Amino acid sequence: MSYVINALTKSLNVFHLAGSPCNNCDIEILDALTPKYDLERFGIVLVGSVRHADVLLLSGAFNRKATIRAKTVYEQAPKPVVVIAIGNCAITGNIFRDSYNLDPPIGKHIPVDAYIPGCPPKPEAMISAVVKLIAKLKGTKA
Amino acid sequence: MRIPAQEQVLPVLREKLGGRLLDATVKSPVRIFLLVSAADIMEVSRVIFRDLEARLQTATATDAPDAFEILYHWAFDYIGCVVSVRVKLDKQKPEIDSIAPLCRGAEWIEREMWELMGIAFRGHPDLRHLLLMDDWPAGKFPLRRDFKGLNA
Amino acid sequence: MDYLATIVQLVLFPGLVFTAVAGLVTTWIDRKVTARVQMRVGPPFLQPFYDIAKYLIKETTVPAGSTRWVFLLAPLVGFAGVLLASMIIWNALLFPHKAFVGDLIVVLYLLTMPSLSVILGAFASRNPVASLGGSREMKLVMAYELPFVLAILVPVIKAHSIGLGQLATTWSSYLAPSGVLAAIVAIVCMQAKLTLVPFDQAEAETELAGGACLEYSGPPLGIFKLTRAMMQFVVPMFLITVFFGGLNIGEGGIKIGYGILKYIVLTVIIVLIRNTAPRLRIDQAVRFFWGPVSAAAMIAVVFALLGW
Repeated sequence: MSYVINALTKSLNVFHLAGSPCNNCDIEILDALTPKYDLERFGIVLVGSVRHADVLLLSGAFNRKATIRAKTVYEQAPKPVVVIAIGNCAITGNIFRDSYNLDPPIGKHIPVDAYIPGCPPKPEAMISAVVKLIAKLKGTKA
Repeated sequence: MRIPAQEQVLPVLREKLGGRLLDATVKSPVRIFLLVSAADIMEVSRVIFRDLEARLQTATATDAPDAFEILYHWAFDYIGCVVSVRVKLDKQKPEIDSIAPLCRGAEWIEREMWELMGIAFRGHPDLRHLLLMDDWPAGKFPLRRDFKGLNA
Repeated sequence: MDYLATIVQLVLFPGLVFTAVAGLVTTWIDRKVTARVQMRVGPPFLQPFYDIAKYLIKETTVPAGSTRWVFLLAPLVGFAGVLLASMIIWNALLFPHKAFVGDLIVVLYLLTMPSLSVILGAFASRNPVASLGGSREMKLVMAYELPFVLAILVPVIKAHSIGLGQLATTWSSYLAPSGVLAAIVAIVCMQAKLTLVPFDQAEAETELAGGACLEYSGPPLGIFKLTRAMMQFVVPMFLITVFFGGLNIGEGGIKIGYGILKYIVLTVIIVLIRNTAPRLRIDQAVRFFWGPVSAAAMIAVVFALLGW
């Protein structure tokens, strides 16, 4: 088991799944991948296909239609996979939580491993969350 | 034919539509509101879309206190004028002919008006959900004033 | 005992372990230099090894309705091809007199197998986006194989032999115009063979969501990535054998140091081209290879025949 965790935490392919967000969280995610924060030195790489993904980044308030698709995408990701909900909309629905078209939080439908609150969260917050997530994975399954 | 100038939009419309034009409000030279009966919508739209070469910008539906109102916004791009055609529908049974067979651009906006307001479009080629999920409970229309939530 | 020696060669040196390690180190050099060019830090040295180890623990998903056995065996086809090519090339480099005649042709065929395996896997995936990536890879292979083979004809003409051993040991005549032109053509074709920018249309991440390897996951994807890394080591070594005189400078002797030097120079050229050029469209790439590059290769062959 520790080989699995070590391999998974040292090389993370990140797939960004946007559930109709306002895109500010998406911009901050892309910021985190730019040379200033340089996530590649932790082995984090952005991939285009969900079948190559180890981490699913959920951003945006997933409305009912998008939740159905998000569940399909989560099932397509090869296990073991880690799910991170980024931004207040993905965590609780934020200002849209009473809308007729939302069934928040996305954590009800997809098992989420880490939450990064913020509207939008800063790249430093995202890096801190990834570090804590790696420690959590190693700690509980050591 | 094309309307030659902005000042002639209302006279040309009065002449073409005749008795179908129930009322006209001129907010500004480039913004004209017409009131027509729901039964005449196909003929009025054909005159404006085909004969006068206007473009359908969009359509909006409102849950007004006395009736359901639909406004079709037609843009005369060649003279820079927008004409909105208003129809009032019965609150108990909102129904109207779909103008999608005439103007393909109306297909999706009529789907949206149907699923969110509950206005039935007779003769629409493809009436299914656009924004709401496919197994949305029937009979519940979110943008009506008396909608109190899915769980109400 | 002979079988034991062959198995040791296949597994350790110059076979699986040596080529895989060298290939992964090459990808690390590529990523590190790219990171430095972009003013960032870049991944640690063991990162490519962690990546391959990670692919081994993921589950393998096979798309429903796909040709299952082709889908799962396609990565192994390319892997076997590049592995055998590496063994033949190193045999020729280290023991030139023991190389067999015609091994150049064998290596040329073996080096097309990774691209073929990508195409096979893409079309076995039952995914329209993957088949788009596969069709782009097919067009690219048809485009660059022509000037590549023409460019390799030049050293063959000059050395009067199609054995890799002879080609590796006759270098001094390659400063001639035909040799230089052929080497330039071969470097451009190598960039396409390694599916690196500006010729990586088949796995364009931003356009094709992963391209030809879209549906692959787990160990088969790991084998694809490992094959790609091994190609990044084997194709420059092939070019060094054929064009740049193998592991020596001038006549005589096996000097590993010169071999490493030539290899590093080629790798740096690849990485610099990769970082400074934008990706071409597939029709631009095909026109490029069948136009100027093939013309240059044919001129080089004519020069070689004329003795220049």
